[in-house]
Amino acid sequence: MSKLKSAAELKKFRQTILDGRDAGKVCVTICLGTGCLACKGDEVHKAFVEEIRKQGLEGKVDIRRTGCHGFCERGPLVVIFPKEICYLKVTPGDVPEIVEKTLIEDKVVDRLVFADEDGRKIVHEGDIPFYKHQNRIILGPNRLVDPGIIEDYIALGGYSALAKALFVMTPVEVLDEVKKSGLRGRGGAGFPTGTKWETTRNAPGEPKYVIVNADEGDPGAYMNRSVLEGNPHSVLEGLIIGAYAIGSHEGFVYVRQEYPLAVANLTTALEQARELGLLGDHILGSEFSFDVTIHRGAGAFVSGESSALMTAIEGRVGEPRLKYIRTAVSGLWEKPTNLNNVETWANVPAIINKGAAWFNGIGTKSSKGTKIFSLVGNVKNTGLVEVPMGMTLRQVIFDIGGGIAGDKKFKAVQTGGPSGGCIPAECLDLPVDFDELDKAGSMMGSGGMIVMDEGTCMVDTARYFVKFLSEESCGKCVPCREGLKQTLLILDRICSGQGREGDLELLEELGEVMTEASLCALGTTAANPLLSTLKYFRSEYEAHIKEKRCPACVCKELIRYYIEPAKCQACLLCAKNCPTGAITGEKGAIHVIDQAKCTKCGACLEVCPSRFSAVIRISGRPVPPPVAAGTPVQRRK
Amino acid sequence: MPRSTKKKSKFVGMRLSEKQNEALSRLQKDSKASKSDVLLRGLELLSEYYSLDLDKPPLSFDLRSLETEAMHLAESLKQVRDKKQAIHQMVQELAAVDRILDKYDGRENALIQVLLDIQTENHWLPKPALIWASERLNVPLSRIYHIATFYKAFSLEPQGRHAVQVCLGTACQVRGAKRLLDNVISVLGIEPGQTDDKQKFTLSTVNCLGCCALGPVMRIDGQYYSKPGLKDIEKIAAACD
Repeated sequence: MSKLKSAAELKKFRQTILDGRDAGKVCVTICLGTGCLACKGDEVHKAFVEEIRKQGLEGKVDIRRTGCHGFCERGPLVVIFPKEICYLKVTPGDVPEIVEKTLIEDKVVDRLVFADEDGRKIVHEGDIPFYKHQNRIILGPNRLVDPGIIEDYIALGGYSALAKALFVMTPVEVLDEVKKSGLRGRGGAGFPTGTKWETTRNAPGEPKYVIVNADEGDPGAYMNRSVLEGNPHSVLEGLIIGAYAIGSHEGFVYVRQEYPLAVANLTTALEQARELGLLGDHILGSEFSFDVTIHRGAGAFVSGESSALMTAIEGRVGEPRLKYIRTAVSGLWEKPTNLNNVETWANVPAIINKGAAWFNGIGTKSSKGTKIFSLVGNVKNTGLVEVPMGMTLRQVIFDIGGGIAGDKKFKAVQTGGPSGGCIPAECLDLPVDFDELDKAGSMMGSGGMIVMDEGTCMVDTARYFVKFLSEESCGKCVPCREGLKQTLLILDRICSGQGREGDLELLEELGEVMTEASLCALGTTAANPLLSTLKYFRSEYEAHIKEKRCPACVCKELIRYYIEPAKCQACLLCAKNCPTGAITGEKGAIHVIDQAKCTKCGACLEVCPSRFSAVIRISGRPVPPPVAAGTPVQRRK
Repeated sequence: MPRSTKKKSKFVGMRLSEKQNEALSRLQKDSKASKSDVLLRGLELLSEYYSLDLDKPPLSFDLRSLETEAMHLAESLKQVRDKKQAIHQMVQELAAVDRILDKYDGRENALIQVLLDIQTENHWLPKPALIWASERLNVPLSRIYHIATFYKAFSLEPQGRHAVQVCLGTACQVRGAKRLLDNVISVLGIEPGQTDDKQKFTLSTVNCLGCCALGPVMRIDGQYYSKPGLKDIEKIAAACD
């Protein structure tokens, strides 16, 4: 491949690609994002290659390996273009049937398509409720692009925004466009992107640096990973445009080493962009030169904080520093440095191509555009969803997510990662944007949305986040280091039934100090999960402390397992599976748990057939006395 | 890649006498080799020396300390070896570290990347490798230890042949990751952070593997297992050699 030396050459290159492709040709698209790979998507791909060869369809049918489509719950996903027939949960064994029926006979394999609650089949990807309510500006191209092939991205109009920025616009015009678009940082804080760029551009000092923050550390959030893995060029194009606007010639991508596929795909993307002259000296024959280095993060949550991340790139321990002076003015090697999240950068090409006014038309007054959320937890349709800002939580969780899994009741949704908060059912009609979530005591964060059903204990949830944060705290400042430690001790006590009067007030006081006095955002937001659960679920804390009762029956020390004599059908399953032999029972006789031997592992509850549901958890009241050994079961009619 | 020829009075974390330093520089000049090359060659010779069943070789200060490190290394790997084997192993390991360092042109700010590569290759950070990196990058050993103990990716203890990770991310947490972890602990007989005596498994917990839809998730050697039960875990563990 030779380097492209002008915008016209890029355009011609794209035309050549398009001419060589037949839009009507059948293309089997297989999602190979991490979720689908984990459920053997790779084997499905192999099976397709094999079967298509066997049937002599080589050359007549294309196979495309793509990044994450988002509907991870039903993976591996296969979409067959041009008709957009979407098959879910495909196994290698299904492949011969798909090839024969769909590729040869042009029919649909009914059992593999989406069926709604009434059993109606939905064939086309875009009609599935999960996708129908979304607006996939950033995630959409994932299914059209093989991340290892730059031509796929260019065929979609990729790098045309870069050409437009370089040859039609001045750096200041690019900057103004981004400013006017109202784009805010997608990493969590929601700082206006254009303003940040401008500060870096105007700050004294050369060279200036630009950084992609792909240190996605929030448990339960994986949208950055999916964008980097599935469409690395979109991030790269945004970064180059930003560098042009800011006047930077050197960029970094800080990506977690826990994301090996993202590192690999990004490395390939950089090589291909260099080969085509889209990266390096004189990009597209212009006067602008820019290159990018990948820096792998070694696994520290706090290193995702901007100043900590820059310290890590310098080769030192990634600890945050006080930001009297913003990193935009004095960042990497004390030079002006602009850092943005993966998703923020990926928005830039679309804004340049379609204009600020178009972007402005999506979203709410203060938050423009779309946001990707990872909708996970006890929800039916787990996956990545991209929605316009301002959609309500109810719409996201129930219309797109399909509601709560397993016919349980909704209890809370946790947004914003470990530093976010839990939002209760009363606030489900809250429109999701930066400011509304802040007001509810949570935050946007990087976009994790963890749905919890009634079987979740909120005290345990708060303890979980505090534990996570106390392990990830770098220990540099006292409020965060000690505050989290003490908070965790108290929560541990409450969960184990040792809670005392006054604990809640003490927790609130600790939370307040952490919020006010910590050094970086990890500490100042660390109390959010605690304070928001205290605000909305105070009665649950009180039940733990006063009644020694866990309302959700989660906290191990506060519950007992019990077999209801009236329901037990003496199937022996629980007795066989009990690791400590605490269950006595024989055929025909009601089984009994010996509370002294029980370790509360929950194995009996897990194996008890749901049609019996004889094993229950009891909290806050004494276990009824056991029935005499050998009592015959009451057979159900 | 030409290596740093900056004059140092310290080597491998040890202070050199002026005489030793001079001798080393002379050797370097004669063979046009760097200090690390000279030492590697010295170690190779030492290994041959022991193979001749000779005892008490005349060692320089540096070689003596490296020899000690080699024995420590052999000990921590829990493999019975003679001195010759131990030293031979270390020569190979240090040469591997050299290759990694060369990849990054010996840039100081690549330190974390270098350590990541060493970790990937060995599954842990052996002390001689750290000393070597400290020497070649001209970074104090204390800073390397600061980094090695700060980040989760690094381990200063030898790891088992199979890395077992149980995800305790929020999404897995609400779907019963705790119970999965209890099961894995009971099957493997080790707690998170531990390696079993035969160095077969190392168990660790992670905060998100990024496939929340499959939770609770366990990963062994890069392979994901969605919602495995006790029996599944037993089967999977037995299938590992």
